[in-house]
Amino acid sequence: MLLLLAFAVQVVMPQRTIAIDDRLAADAHLAVGDRAVVSAAPGAPGDTVLISAIVSRGADPSEIARGEYHVRLHLDQLETLTTYGDRVDRFDVATRDSTATRRALAAINDAAFGFRAYPSKDIAVETSATFKVVSRFHRAIGVITIVASAIFLLCILLLKVEERRRDVAALRLIGISRRSVFRAIVLEAALVALLGSALGVAIGWLTSAAVNGYYQAFYRTPLRFSIVTGDIVLFAVALSLALGVVAGALAALRLVRTPPLRLLGR
Amino acid sequence: MRGLLAFAALRGHAARTALAVLGVAVAAAMLLDMVMLSTGLRESFQHLLLSRGFQLRLAPRGTLPFDTEAMIPGATAILDTLRTLGDVTTVSPVLGAQLHVPRDGRVTTTFALGVNPAAQGDYELRSGRDPNDANELVANDEFLHAAGLQVGDTLEAATGYNPQLRTFAGQRRLTIVGRARFLYLSAGQPAVALPLRTLQAMTGHTRDDAVSLFMVRLRDGASVDAARDWIRAHVRTVDAISTADALAQVDDRLRYFRQLGYILGAVSLMVGFLLITTLMTVSVNERVGEIAVMRAIGVSRPHVVQQIVLESTVISSAGTACGLALGLATARYLNAILSQFPGLPAAIDFFPFQPRAIWTALALLASVGILAGVYPSWRAASRPIAGTLREEAVA
Repeated sequence: MLLLLAFAVQVVMPQRTIAIDDRLAADAHLAVGDRAVVSAAPGAPGDTVLISAIVSRGADPSEIARGEYHVRLHLDQLETLTTYGDRVDRFDVATRDSTATRRALAAINDAAFGFRAYPSKDIAVETSATFKVVSRFHRAIGVITIVASAIFLLCILLLKVEERRRDVAALRLIGISRRSVFRAIVLEAALVALLGSALGVAIGWLTSAAVNGYYQAFYRTPLRFSIVTGDIVLFAVALSLALGVVAGALAALRLVRTPPLRLLGR
Repeated sequence: MRGLLAFAALRGHAARTALAVLGVAVAAAMLLDMVMLSTGLRESFQHLLLSRGFQLRLAPRGTLPFDTEAMIPGATAILDTLRTLGDVTTVSPVLGAQLHVPRDGRVTTTFALGVNPAAQGDYELRSGRDPNDANELVANDEFLHAAGLQVGDTLEAATGYNPQLRTFAGQRRLTIVGRARFLYLSAGQPAVALPLRTLQAMTGHTRDDAVSLFMVRLRDGASVDAARDWIRAHVRTVDAISTADALAQVDDRLRYFRQLGYILGAVSLMVGFLLITTLMTVSVNERVGEIAVMRAIGVSRPHVVQQIVLESTVISSAGTACGLALGLATARYLNAILSQFPGLPAAIDFFPFQPRAIWTALALLASVGILAGVYPSWRAASRPIAGTLREEAVA
């Protein structure tokens, strides 16, 4: 519902109070106690009201890219201004618990004539369609990044192990078993992957904080854009460790199967 | 000779070379996608806005076109005012509304546009003709499919529906005279277009003569900014939005994707650079003896550098070639995801094929390939020959 606000200093005393959101307050330089004229169309006669509250915007994904302002009026005043009559867009119903919600939904929908009740969770799912698309896009980018990281990690670890050709040859020549050399190399690769993961988690956490700080300020919303959860950290570390161990094992297998003298170039 | 030596060195470590090429290919694919994403959306939107030659949109003051339910009253008076501006060649008033079509016990709801068929810029006819008569409409395939209708059929349509009483308001019998593709609507959205006066009468907007939007076409060579400023000064109830203004709004709202494109593009470039540099450094370190021998028998330092830079260039070129194909394929996949944005015009392409994007990605990767080879090769070629040979002999 759009209400266009024409702000002007009024001589008459305001009849009603309204609440405006912090974005409108900042952009129009309004404060609690100021008066404004609200009307349903630009230039149309309206009501003079007193701004009695400035409210914060909710973390609503569906409004993220919209630059709209929000104004809260008393229902009867809005109905009169918009000539809607005794009509509303929706009713919000609070219940005691989830069982009561299910009972209320069933009771309302059984008796409803021309309208329908939905749980708030379903409405939230519908209105966050934009973010669902963004999430799918992020997941696709994430998969590409994981593939690139896996190849990069494999390459680096192969090169790192290859660099140890002479060390491995020396170890084999002094009698260290293939199995011990293999384990040492895999352990080293796992440690490198683990250290890299720890560093990656720290960088990820800092980046997430920076992303939230920047986009919350840019879109003027309390919504959290990036969340680092325990599951995500666990997944990233496990994946990195698995890739490190696989890469290390592949490289180590190649080295221990090569005769030590050939590793030395003889 | 340099080419042969470089090729032999790469073939000597086939697995390593293959991995490096694969790594560069994925980085190149990501880079291409991000270059396309960072610039493509803007170009695609600009192309869409200018596709029918309307340079200005007039929306209710304080809103964007069809962003809210706000209306512009007094459309005829505004039309007369706009026609006094000499640069204006065409003005297309548009009214948006919901249309309910009851048929066979069910109601199909569609988006309806009230237009002036002679000046409209909202749809392209696929078959049939424009709705020139008051009781005619054109519809898109989505509506025809949803309602089970075809061109030539007659339907009962209403603009108001009271769900409590199950009664309709603003009813009228209309005939479908054409099949159309709507340019600015999202994929899968049912839509129809009918004469403006008909929709105004059905919605009850005849008295205030309201429309949702005006689209204005200017003569060639006219200053869009000057016309916009003139309209802003003479028509107080509207915001005149030029294509540049609309693009700035889109840039602002979708800034996230542009920034993501820049960041991920930079990361991809860095990954490619690090991969080639690491590979070349290790490769050169393994061959310091060989390089020292080459230098000892008289091969010049630039020759050694060129050979190693050639190796890194071959890796980056092969990786880039594979990456471009991979990038175009992933771009289609990513575009299919992003095109599901609610309310986004179906014609918007987040990853449009742009030769400039491909050349940019190619140039960046070629530079990275050369740069990645320069440092390790120069370091290897600068090592003291005698000392290196002695170290290698002792080793």
